Amino acid sequence: MRGDKFIKLIEEKFNILETTREHEEQLTILVDRNDLPAVVKYIYYDIGAYLTSMIGNDERSINKNYALYYVLSVEGSKLPNDPIIPNEEKCFITVKTLIPPKEMTYPSVTPYVPACVWYEREVYDMFGLVAEGLPDKRRLMLSDDWPNDLFPLRKDAMDYRFRPEITNPENEPEFTFNEPDGDLINIPLGPMHIRNEEPGHFRLFCDGDTIVDADYRLFYIHRGMEKLAENRMNYDQMGFLAERICGICGYAHSIACIEAAERAGGIEIPQRAQALRIVCSEIERLHSLLLNIGLACEATGNYTAFMHIFKIREYTMQLAQLVTGGRKTYGNVIIGGLRRDMTGNEIKQSLETLANIEIQVNEIWDAIMDDKRQVKRWKGVGVLDQQIARDFSPVGPNMRGSGIMRDYRIDHPYDFYKKIEFTPSIGEGGDVFARIYVRYQDLKSSIHIIRQCFELMPSGNLSIKANVNIQAGKYAMGYVEAPRGDTTHWIMQGGSQKVYRWRARASTYANWPSLRYQLRGNSVADAALIVCSLDPCFSCTERVIITDIKNKESKILTEKDLKAICRKKD
Amino acid sequence: MMKLIDITDKYGLETCKYPLEPYLVPETYRGQPKYKFDLCIGCAACSVACPPNAISVKAVDTKVVWEFDCGRCIFCARCDEVCPTGAIRLSTEYELAAKFDKSALIQRGEMDMASCAECGKLYSTKRLISYTLRKLELSNLSEERIKNAKFYVNLCPECKSKKAILSLETEAKEIL
Ligand code: SF4
Ligand code: SF4
Repeated sequence: MRGDKFIKLIEEKFNILETTREHEEQLTILVDRNDLPAVVKYIYYDIGAYLTSMIGNDERSINKNYALYYVLSVEGSKLPNDPIIPNEEKCFITVKTLIPPKEMTYPSVTPYVPACVWYEREVYDMFGLVAEGLPDKRRLMLSDDWPNDLFPLRKDAMDYRFRPEITNPENEPEFTFNEPDGDLINIPLGPMHIRNEEPGHFRLFCDGDTIVDADYRLFYIHRGMEKLAENRMNYDQMGFLAERICGICGYAHSIACIEAAERAGGIEIPQRAQALRIVCSEIERLHSLLLNIGLACEATGNYTAFMHIFKIREYTMQLAQLVTGGRKTYGNVIIGGLRRDMTGNEIKQSLETLANIEIQVNEIWDAIMDDKRQVKRWKGVGVLDQQIARDFSPVGPNMRGSGIMRDYRIDHPYDFYKKIEFTPSIGEGGDVFARIYVRYQDLKSSIHIIRQCFELMPSGNLSIKANVNIQAGKYAMGYVEAPRGDTTHWIMQGGSQKVYRWRARASTYANWPSLRYQLRGNSVADAALIVCSLDPCFSCTERVIITDIKNKESKILTEKDLKAICRKKD
Repeated sequence: MMKLIDITDKYGLETCKYPLEPYLVPETYRGQPKYKFDLCIGCAACSVACPPNAISVKAVDTKVVWEFDCGRCIFCARCDEVCPTGAIRLSTEYELAAKFDKSALIQRGEMDMASCAECGKLYSTKRLISYTLRKLELSNLSEERIKNAKFYVNLCPECKSKKAILSLETEAKEIL
């Protein structure tokens, strides 16, 4: 079966305590915690895998231990000189290890596989599990004034309604940014304006105009959804909560979440529902990619192009309205299928809108490419080196821009993607331009995929009455190639058909850790553009303080000033 | 740059004059749920189905109070799907902003409760009972069964189970 070959390879070198299979292409191996770094490293670099997610879990009520799950997507390194793993052998191998509650430590994997850094920091925040040897032990998610001994995801830690007292701002501990040595200027970008969806606090350490290093922290609006769902929600509610994780790729989250449950329960949904799920997620991709290409123009002051692109985006919203009844593709996915079918007339109208979108996208792309000044602003900026990309497992256009072909629609096809043919997009050079080019290619393939879905979509039922009866303790993973890369949900079933542990890993989570390397060596004026090219929210540039370390003076730049600097540069 | 201006020229004005003129949404748009009090029977199916608990159906004194808070609604149309009488339907209404006065987001209905024919306790809405009776008329059950069912409809759950046990006992005795 799929993956057995790799398990054999691992077995030759390490002691595997137990192997289980959750789904056709999802396997778990249990190893001793002292073997953990070596095993993960072996799979990651020697067999050729990327880190998909890492999950901490409080399993004291199940097996008296805490558990860690490192989910690796075995798909080959995809670097030019490395061996290729054929599609029918690709799989997910999860390395599981148990940690006794008396000790609460495990050897860190980050020194061997840098991609683990955020996950291991998060596991400390949430469970208090200490990664021995982790180079960066700062908090990741919880706020600075969160009590030191309160680990929210431990089952006995707190009720989901509990909120610790807020510390008086004066007593709030100061967060330390990783500041490199030297006579550098420290530029804080952010923290944020709460109005925007994704606030973040960036520190740029500059020598003159050049960024030498950067550090940042996010999670200012961590909502504790994982805690909220645990032991309380049923799957009728969870899908609807999952789609509220993001305002842009909500549909990806809802399918990932529901499909995780469907996989654990072995539920096969009707073909028509599979096809429509793909249609909706591709519509979501259309509007998200247009949003990002538009913002990349706006960040460089090209308002005319931005406006045109947003006009096209409006058609994609109308498309969503036709398909789901709402301008956002929300409230459609349920376990066992979908809730809303399309009529022949609606499909006809959708095809017309699609043709219109295609024509206008091509026109605007031509016009932008014609504008040499615009293209020059994107080229050679914010380069994500291929080796850094290999080490940090970024996802989506960010990764494909660096010439590494990672796309779950190809690597681990789900739903209707198994039936659809399309050429995945890939860029080269890893700069802002490459990422935007990949997005443009993705736009075109999205339109192509939606058309194919309408063509191949069989008639019939849209949902089956799913009898969700999943054994307690069983887990599975749902994954979706969202507009920004793969979104992965991991769900472990608890008693009485409720969720025991839900781990949602959004795509941008995997893209942040490598941003630091993308910023290095660029000028301050490009910082906003580089952050934008990752496709997070733009809110971080709301307010900037420039501090000159030498004479301790600081000057506040508003969003306007910063954009002005950004635009002045030619 | 010139090409961009050509595109502008080609497509002309694209914006619509909203709010000066209405913005048209498709018929199948999922907007604010609209409640028709006259049709509601207080069965609470909607409140069970609603994922974010936007609808509540509670007994307050002698009334059953149906309440919908649009501020919590996620426009999923679950309520619309399950309502047996069509009392709650999603409309194409999308202008939902409420200025200061959040009560504008609340829709509410109060229904009279019926009392148990046996013990006199209030147990359900009068409308639900007459709805059940109407449905019974339309069903093609035997007359005997209908008569039986009608008798039980007017009892509160406790009396219903007591009566049912009693009648089972007598039946068993008769057979013996
Ligand atoms: S549309 Fe959904 S959220 Fe709104 S009231 Fe109906 S069931 Fe509740
Ligand atoms: S009749 Fe419809 S609206 Fe009234 S309580 Fe029942 S489901 Fe809700």
